[in-house]
Amino acid sequence: MGRLFILSENQTVAGLGRSTAGLLETPVHKLKEQLSEETAIRLSRPVAAQAAAVATGTLDDQLWVDRYRPKRFMELLGDERVHRETMSWLKEWDYCVFGKRRGLKAKKPSEENPLYRDEYRRPQEKILLLSGPPGLGKTTLAHVIAHQAGYDVLEINASDARSGQVVDDRIKPALETGSAVGSKRPVCVVIDEIDGATGAGDGGAGFVFKLISLTFDRGKKRNRAGEKRDSKGKRPLLRPIICICNDLYASSLTKLRQHSHIVRFTRPADIYLSKRLREICDIEGLRADSRALTALVGLSRGDIRGCLNVLQFIKGKNQDVTENVLREAAAGMKEGDGSFTTVLGNLFAPLSKKRVKDLAMNELDESRYVGRLSRDLEASDSLDKIAWGCLEHYTNLRQSDPSLMRHQKANDWLTTYDILSGTMWSEREFAIMPYLTYMLVPFYPLFQERGGGRVDRPKAGWENSVKTKANEEIYKSLARCVRTTSNNQSVVYRHLMSNDILQLEFAPLINRIISPPLRPVNSQVIKPVERALLQRLVEIMVSLELRFVQETAEDGQLVYRLDPPIDVFVTYDGKRAADIPVSRYATRHLVAGEIDALLIARQAEAVEKGKTKTLDFFRGATTHEEADEVETPESRDIDGKLMKSNEAQTSQAKKRPADKIDIADKPPVDFFGRPIVMQTHTTADIPGERPQKKFRVSYRFNEGNSAAVRKPVKVAAFL
Amino acid sequence: MSLWVDKYRPRSLDDLHYHAGLSARLRSLAASGDFPHMLFYGPSGAGKKTRITCTLRQLFGPGAEKLKIDQRVFMTPTKRKLDVNIVQSNFHIEITPSDVGIYDRVVIQEILKEIAQTQQVDLNARQRFKVVIINEADSLSRDAQAALRRTMEKYMSNMRIILCANSTSKLIAPIKSRCLLMRVAAPNTAEMQTCLQYVAKREKFDLPPEAAEEIIQDANGNLRKALLVLEALKMQSPDLTGPLAIAKPDWETYCNKVADMIVQEQTPSRVMEVRAKFYELLSHCIPPTVILKTVAERVVERVDESLKADVMHWAAIYEVRMRVGSKKIFHLEAWVVKIMSLYKQFVFGFSMDDFEA
Repeated sequence: MGRLFILSENQTVAGLGRSTAGLLETPVHKLKEQLSEETAIRLSRPVAAQAAAVATGTLDDQLWVDRYRPKRFMELLGDERVHRETMSWLKEWDYCVFGKRRGLKAKKPSEENPLYRDEYRRPQEKILLLSGPPGLGKTTLAHVIAHQAGYDVLEINASDARSGQVVDDRIKPALETGSAVGSKRPVCVVIDEIDGATGAGDGGAGFVFKLISLTFDRGKKRNRAGEKRDSKGKRPLLRPIICICNDLYASSLTKLRQHSHIVRFTRPADIYLSKRLREICDIEGLRADSRALTALVGLSRGDIRGCLNVLQFIKGKNQDVTENVLREAAAGMKEGDGSFTTVLGNLFAPLSKKRVKDLAMNELDESRYVGRLSRDLEASDSLDKIAWGCLEHYTNLRQSDPSLMRHQKANDWLTTYDILSGTMWSEREFAIMPYLTYMLVPFYPLFQERGGGRVDRPKAGWENSVKTKANEEIYKSLARCVRTTSNNQSVVYRHLMSNDILQLEFAPLINRIISPPLRPVNSQVIKPVERALLQRLVEIMVSLELRFVQETAEDGQLVYRLDPPIDVFVTYDGKRAADIPVSRYATRHLVAGEIDALLIARQAEAVEKGKTKTLDFFRGATTHEEADEVETPESRDIDGKLMKSNEAQTSQAKKRPADKIDIADKPPVDFFGRPIVMQTHTTADIPGERPQKKFRVSYRFNEGNSAAVRKPVKVAAFL
Repeated sequence: MSLWVDKYRPRSLDDLHYHAGLSARLRSLAASGDFPHMLFYGPSGAGKKTRITCTLRQLFGPGAEKLKIDQRVFMTPTKRKLDVNIVQSNFHIEITPSDVGIYDRVVIQEILKEIAQTQQVDLNARQRFKVVIINEADSLSRDAQAALRRTMEKYMSNMRIILCANSTSKLIAPIKSRCLLMRVAAPNTAEMQTCLQYVAKREKFDLPPEAAEEIIQDANGNLRKALLVLEALKMQSPDLTGPLAIAKPDWETYCNKVADMIVQEQTPSRVMEVRAKFYELLSHCIPPTVILKTVAERVVERVDESLKADVMHWAAIYEVRMRVGSKKIFHLEAWVVKIMSLYKQFVFGFSMDDFEA
């Protein structure tokens, strides 16, 4: 059926083709002509229309913000230095991006000349971070500059999903191909509103994290033989990236800040701004008095986008721009800029006179603070931080408060705030949210004062939480120690693992248990009482997996550190508890030595049972054996040398006068190749050494320690 | 070799030094074959966990002491991974669900389901059921407790649950009614004296009764603490004669210092100093409720009779608030300011409120 149908259709088409002249009223070539004319008209119309619109000011199909967006570098408004800085950063890329095309130098000069900082001669910071309040033209600047420098822009903004995925899917391919799809110019990635990106919090998948790692990718050095590149290998970043954000200190940007060239936007001088507004008003045929325009600029705090929108709105209502009209139109702009330090400052200080004037408030308006502040707080979006700020700041204020009445009230509000917000989060009861702001407003009547100290970012809370985390980590490692021991020896230490017990009872007391008053003496000459004490200490420390680890302090002195550092739990305000004797280096040294010895013995036992075989065990076992076996009084010389070779037994080695081996590494041989044993000669040339008798060394193997390789060895091998 | 606390922990019901009546009851319960769910509760260091392990031994024989510790990974509904340490033998399993905070329900459900579904395979086992021990049951969330109540009935045939808690007040009534409640009271002075002397005898040294008395006074019914202190003392001054300085935990000394500061001076600058001290304590992971309690107790000692009730009253109020809220320092400071202003009013003999208004 189908086939038949197609056939018949073909026939019809063929038929049509044959009788073209008869069927069409106008010939094909004329139709084509008509079409092209129409297109030409359509294409030319917008230009004309726009020109007409600008001339007459009638057509309103475009936002003024877009219409008067600067197209060229010279048209940019604002601090010229900022523009130049940005431009020069982008120009630094020129060699890397355009270098080859422009053919300034022979291929790959960077490889031959190691003096260059960067292989591809890229700027040091490969990301530019533009920051500043909204509406100052950051995005515009990025676009204009990129175009001016000959790039095509790939923009990623808040309307795109911004997960780590985007970096892989969109940014990376664009950077690697070097240009956007369908264009010949190199690409410049502009990432707008990056402070809204998913932060560095969620592991490696975060947007910012991926972005940074992108800049660190190092390409494989291209070898001269050809462009054979590892297709799977990572490629270096060869195109500029510009990031734009409002809040430079957003938590998601902490990582990025370190790796990028930061350019801060400030509001342009009011004169330039109002001049530009004036020009636009003239073009649009809007009558405006300059006082009104200045007021508008002040009201918007330099937000040119906001200004233009307001003007367009007034134009739409066919009004003249006067101050009153402006106030009405810009009603919404009163809201603060949202940075939480500003809001915090507002809580503790009355409005500045200038701002009052800008907002044209009268006395009554000024005295009404609840609405204003709660709006501010709501807009700030970081209530918790502000609450912390309040807590940290309110005690600094100078007003005297003898009965602490105001302090009490402030604390009442803070605790109420905390209870409400705590409930909100735990019960998922977000309907409470709007009420939270009112909990912080009362700080204004309680503490506001003109010219009070600057309000700092709250940091004590944060510092505290960092410290707490560190200490929690130590507790965890202590618990882990306790756990592993109970695993190994089926000891029921696990009862001590519960958090409260660990923190409140175990940690302070174990510190006392492990610091007995030991005298730093050689473990050989220790008194029996102390010997028992030492043994007990060593056993406890081993069973809890506590160790003394040798470290070099900042001043170059050797210290023994307790690991895990549970002694922080008896250290308050940087001072150790008074009743715990400070254990000195020598004592710790002694204990550390004993611990090692015990561990080695344990390991040897374990090996004997055929249970474990560790790598470092061999060295350890010999150490132990030497300590036990070789110590015959005559063998002092050799023994000393042996001791020196291993670190574990340093305690004894230290006490001995250091013997020097000044023979060459090879033992001397006589004519027939037999080694000449010259014990006396070895030591005789060291001043202060008494000449040695000939001695014999006998080796006996400890049955308990099968660790050594049983093999006859000559003394010479040790010398 | 281990600490004395563990070394001389009684292993069987017969070795227990005190609460003989309780031991007898546990013994008969274990023998009867009709073993119920149980809830052990009592103050810290009274010997709850010791009694639980002894009971297990009575139930299953020495096999219950062969323990192994695993780390298990659980998934929350939001795909977060939780690492939980589980102590188990062939006959029982021991978990501390409060380690994972609000996700304890997941852990409870998974573990119980797993245990309930598997029969005891060891034919020589004395009991047909396995035991699940839940430590720190009083910090179980509502959800977790609710998850527990049905399973407790449903899987009675091959599982028993032993809960261990400091107080029953935070457990929901349905759970309490399903358990046999076992109160393990703190040992009295004489009982603690016996225990300390027993340890001393086994360690072959002389413990003067006065020294023991001092330790016991300080430990306040907490035998674990008493033993740790004894060991610390023995380590620090091996002969145990002369005046003994009982080591107080450092956080406690520090809390007392804070209390003294509050009583000495009541000014905004002092509030700041106290706050710094609180931060120091908090950063040492001392639970804020413990801080508040310790400081309050010390303040009560130092102030006039007529203020004592108020101090405690406000401490209680702020403790409740603290538990609801999330920023502990707010509540600690609020309490301090409150106490300071109360104290000032008391010292000056009139209420400042009228004065200021």
